Amino acid sequence: MNAAKENLWKAFRGLVLVWIVGLAIGETLIAWGVNNWPLVGSVQARITADATTYLMWQAVALYVLVGGAIVYSAIRFRASSASDAVIPENQKRTWAPFVVTWLVLAIGINLANTIYPGMVGLEQLWAIQMDTKNPLVIDVTAQQWKWTFSYPKQGVTDVSQLVVPEGRTIDFVLRTKDVMHDFWVPAWGVKKDVIPNEVRHLFVTPTALGSTATNPMIRVQCSMICGNGHPLMRAPVKVVTAAKFKTWVASNSF
Amino acid sequence: MATNEMQAQALNETEGGKTSFAISMLFPLFRATLWGLTGYFAAAWITAALLGSVIVNPLPATVGYIVGLVGWLMGSGLWEGWIRRAFGGAEAPSYTGVERYFRFGPDSKSTAVRYVVFNVVAFFFAGLAAMAIRVELLTPDSTSWWMSEIHYNMTFGIHGLMMLLAVAASVIVGGVGYYLVPLMLGVRNVVFPKLLGLSWWLLPPAAFAVFMSPTIGGFQTGWWGYPPLAQNSGSGIVFYVLGAATLLTASVLGAINIAGTMVYMRAKGMSLGRVPIFVWGLFAAATILIVEAPATFTGALMDLSDMILGSHFYTGPLGHPLAYMDQFWFLFHPEVYVFALPAFAIWLEILPAAAKRPLFARNWAIAGLVGVSMLGAMLGVHHYFTAVSPARMPIFMTFTETVSIPTGFIYLSAIGTLWGGRLKINAAVLLVLMAMMNFLIGGLTGIFNADVPADLQLHNTYWVVAHFHYTILGAVIFTWIAALYWWFPKVTGRKINEFWGKFHAWWFFVFFNCTFFPMFIAGIDGMNRRVAIYLPYLHEINLFISISAFLLGAGFLIPLANLVYSWRRGEKAEPNPWGSRGLEWQMKSPTPYIPFPEGTEPEVVGPNDNYAAGSKEPFVWISAPSK
Ligand code: HEM
Ligand SMILES: [Cu+2]
Ligand SMILES: [Cu+2]
Repeated sequence: MNAAKENLWKAFRGLVLVWIVGLAIGETLIAWGVNNWPLVGSVQARITADATTYLMWQAVALYVLVGGAIVYSAIRFRASSASDAVIPENQKRTWAPFVVTWLVLAIGINLANTIYPGMVGLEQLWAIQMDTKNPLVIDVTAQQWKWTFSYPKQGVTDVSQLVVPEGRTIDFVLRTKDVMHDFWVPAWGVKKDVIPNEVRHLFVTPTALGSTATNPMIRVQCSMICGNGHPLMRAPVKVVTAAKFKTWVASNSF
Repeated sequence: MATNEMQAQALNETEGGKTSFAISMLFPLFRATLWGLTGYFAAAWITAALLGSVIVNPLPATVGYIVGLVGWLMGSGLWEGWIRRAFGGAEAPSYTGVERYFRFGPDSKSTAVRYVVFNVVAFFFAGLAAMAIRVELLTPDSTSWWMSEIHYNMTFGIHGLMMLLAVAASVIVGGVGYYLVPLMLGVRNVVFPKLLGLSWWLLPPAAFAVFMSPTIGGFQTGWWGYPPLAQNSGSGIVFYVLGAATLLTASVLGAINIAGTMVYMRAKGMSLGRVPIFVWGLFAAATILIVEAPATFTGALMDLSDMILGSHFYTGPLGHPLAYMDQFWFLFHPEVYVFALPAFAIWLEILPAAAKRPLFARNWAIAGLVGVSMLGAMLGVHHYFTAVSPARMPIFMTFTETVSIPTGFIYLSAIGTLWGGRLKINAAVLLVLMAMMNFLIGGLTGIFNADVPADLQLHNTYWVVAHFHYTILGAVIFTWIAALYWWFPKVTGRKINEFWGKFHAWWFFVFFNCTFFPMFIAGIDGMNRRVAIYLPYLHEINLFISISAFLLGAGFLIPLANLVYSWRRGEKAEPNPWGSRGLEWQMKSPTPYIPFPEGTEPEVVGPNDNYAAGSKEPFVWISAPSK
């Protein structure tokens, strides 16, 4: 049996080329995707969408680096035929520079991700919650299969449509009468489970005016399976200016 | 008969019995079915009569299930093959011929073959459920001519539970692992062969009950069974809990065997450093089951107790549903590694033989497998970041992200093995490469779910549905089919059809990605999961997904036909068709009843992945004095 000798450095140069081309294509696609992002309609949604898009740039880069290496080596180092009996000369069991680089990068990227977007995003979300002196409190009651909203300080009770002012932080107080549900307005970029026998809070600061009719991302949608009516457990939402909110309150309170 | 006795038993012909198949050999199957169904209906009916209730109510169904399960097991041959002896009776002889495939017995190879059959059947029906889901989602409205929302909920619950516990949990561990573990370790059987035999017979009644759950009212919780919805959306939850617990029991019985066999029964000279990587992968998976299953078992039974016995662990004004989540995910997060680690290990088992290179950085790969299994125990909370207090978020985010480090070692090892080798790409290797590419997407998108800020938006959307299908369907099922192709000559002595194998691999890869990649986008665009009805702005993308899904689903008929046809008519394979240095290929194919005759033992004298030109064989056969 003759052993096949390969110039591995030359092969590596080819891989670098694949990486460059792959990164250019991949990141262009992501740039396009991020440009077409659905509505980001709250301060919180900005934070969670930034986390998501950041991780996308990174995921595409890692996909190209690792996936590119797999595809490239499978093609570059393939046997000539099914009956090829040539044994490759490279029989190294390990190669420290590769292993060490890999380790350093894996640990480094992990630490980095935990800090950003992980902890940074969390701290930002928590900070909004802590800094809000006078949130608009809205009691949310979930039950199979509808949502009801009350505004205790405004004297608005049991409405089935969620009307909120733009730019003010809202403290949603979440309770359920029966099973678990999940309070989610896709445009607001955060969700919270509503758990029996517990009271949960979700803080949201809407920034985009609009309503379910103008953009379906602005809707309350139950996001935890709760039985037959789960898909239709939605509620219309309207984000209005502070002035309009006042008039709405005036005409809906007792 | 004790295991070592059986191993030492001198069979004149190691081939086992030579009688050809006769219909009467199916007798244990018929008897098991009869005893099972009779037991079920009798017990359920008596319970119902005593309680003045009806047999579809939760408590009668529970009692019926337990009695039916015992009846089925006894009928399968457990009675005369094992239990009768405990009562002073005689033990039935060990069947060594073709009849062992149809009854309870201690032979790990026929058990493994039965696993393959069971997995294929379960995959087929759970796959039909997936198709039913995609029909419903062809249009945004409630598609009432097809099924109601209630039936839709039951369908994805059954689909999910069956795909996980009746398919993913045992495709590689069961069908491939139980066959290969003894051969790769150089022994004749596993350490507790009867427990392993028993494990298979637990599967059919459990899966049958789950599929039949709509007949007693179904369950609408999806595969999570979260209380208190579990207790108020149909008696079928009883079959969900009991079916899941039974399937898990089977997994645990297998896990004990894998761990025990690897620890106690290796061939001479097989130090831990020389244990084949696939066995390491199975071992890592087995430890997960052994350590983490109890918490989840308990949770499932407490959930059931709330349903049938009126307890209020998780329900009622003082119940704590969050406690169920903790218990549920304690095993069911790491359970995904029970699926994935054996698949990783298959890649690393196949690639060196295909590329004619040693396994690169083998110790790192083992650290990766074991590392994932250890870290995996600490992550469950990432499945409900939206339910827990902020205090629990940072730690579980950090741990979850950390698991990507040991996972990365698998890729490090695989790429290092490919690099500078000479890769022969047959259908199995092609599927392995595709599985690696798919898992890469599954793994990278998992980082988004681990990152709490991103997850607060993505959780419970189609993003997650895409993510876990990439890991399970895209990696585990691709690898399963690869493993069936690769070791097919070992089991049948024949080869699969390479052309149709590769053709289907491409079909699978293309339509898999067409089906599941758009789901990431649907999730970002605000489509939540588990909905029969969605908003019209999501119609186009769902239409595309559904049509791709039908093509993807139909494609599975190709490997089915390929395997069945090749089993009967395939090209005869040489003893070691891939030129592998694995010990399993040093034995006769198809594997005789006793894999290697009495008086001989393999001894390991070198690494089993040394492909250098002129390197010596890693095993020698030595004669062992009979005990
Ligand atoms: C054959 C192609 C498959 C298709 C087209 C498919 C499709 C789907 C779809 C559309 C859902 C979403 C239901 C929903 O959340 O509304 C789903 C759920 C699920 N699938 Fe699949 N699937 C396939 C194969 C698999 C496989 C092979 C596995 C695992 C081995 C699997 C595991 C699951 C699980 C665990 C769920 C979650 C069920 C739940 O929400 O409780 N699927 N599948
Ligand atoms: Cu719901
Ligand atoms: Cu998990």
